[in-house]
Amino acid sequence: QEIKFKSLQQDSSLPVDVASDSLSVDQTSGIAIFDGNVIVTQGAMTIKSAKARVQNSADGSGIEKLFFDGGVTFASETEAAEANEAVYTIASGEVVMTGDVLLTQGPTTIAGQKLVYDLQKGTGTMQGRVQTTFVPKSGVAP
Amino acid sequence: MAGRRAFDGWSRTVGWLKVALPLTALGLLSTLFLVSNRIDPETAIPYSDIDVQSLVREPRLTKPVYSGTTANGSTLTLQALEARPATTPGNPSTAVDVTATLTSRTGLRTDIRSNAASLDAATNTLRLTGDVQIDSSAAYQVKTEALDADLSASAFTSSVPVQATGPTGTVTADSMSLMPDPKGDGTYLLVFNGRVKLVYQPK
Repeated sequence: QEIKFKSLQQDSSLPVDVASDSLSVDQTSGIAIFDGNVIVTQGAMTIKSAKARVQNSADGSGIEKLFFDGGVTFASETEAAEANEAVYTIASGEVVMTGDVLLTQGPTTIAGQKLVYDLQKGTGTMQGRVQTTFVPKSGVAP
Repeated sequence: MAGRRAFDGWSRTVGWLKVALPLTALGLLSTLFLVSNRIDPETAIPYSDIDVQSLVREPRLTKPVYSGTTANGSTLTLQALEARPATTPGNPSTAVDVTATLTSRTGLRTDIRSNAASLDAATNTLRLTGDVQIDSSAAYQVKTEALDADLSASAFTSSVPVQATGPTGTVTADSMSLMPDPKGDGTYLLVFNGRVKLVYQPK
């Protein structure tokens, strides 16, 4: 089953800023790999991971997708999410996080297998064996 | 009678002409030498101002071209405006306005240019300095101040901050190296190290 929730909404044509320890570009295929605490920031969103691979768009005009692996954390002001891997398609502003995803939004935490963020519409859906833990107002965890 | 007076007038003008004409001839003749510009024999032949002494003292090559193949089979050609071979064993041979082209077995072409270069024959490394620019065929253009080229392994490393512009945006890093892929399939890896920062502006 799946849970829909409100999340970060932002314009996907904001500049994307990638920082890492090293970047290696294969001269023949043009594949670029960021390695060593990779931090991608765009607007209010930050994605951190150990490694990120860049997939250029077919016409070579820029970055189409960023593949993160080795433990990914997605953070914005209102929420934070962790997963094993993530794929961010810049043009459509879609972040797909897979592999025992844990999302914390304020007091609630949601766990699942796959989390899809749509940054343009500002919605997120968590799929696959979703468990949600609420902290009732009285502050006593169930 | 009238004929005589007319005759006198004619002979008088002829008499005047006999005096005036030689004088004007003399005047014309003198302007030939007076007015004409002086030809100074000293500067007549333009001497070349190249300092012959320095040419003799330091042997130099103009527009030298060096080409060779490197360990992994890619060809490297080096051209310079002027090169000075090492005279004493201590100092390296230097070159000015250097361009280098590296074409790998897989047809990958990398063009490098710099203001100056010095070749250290002992370690077979060429040190390029002075706004070095590297254009790799993966459409990355890297700018740095100093680049060491290990000619035998055709590996280029720059240990000073570099900036690069490429299809995925502009990259800045503390150092960079361009070397054959360890997997050895003939391709080259352009690696940026140390505080790498890439800024990409989506269309």
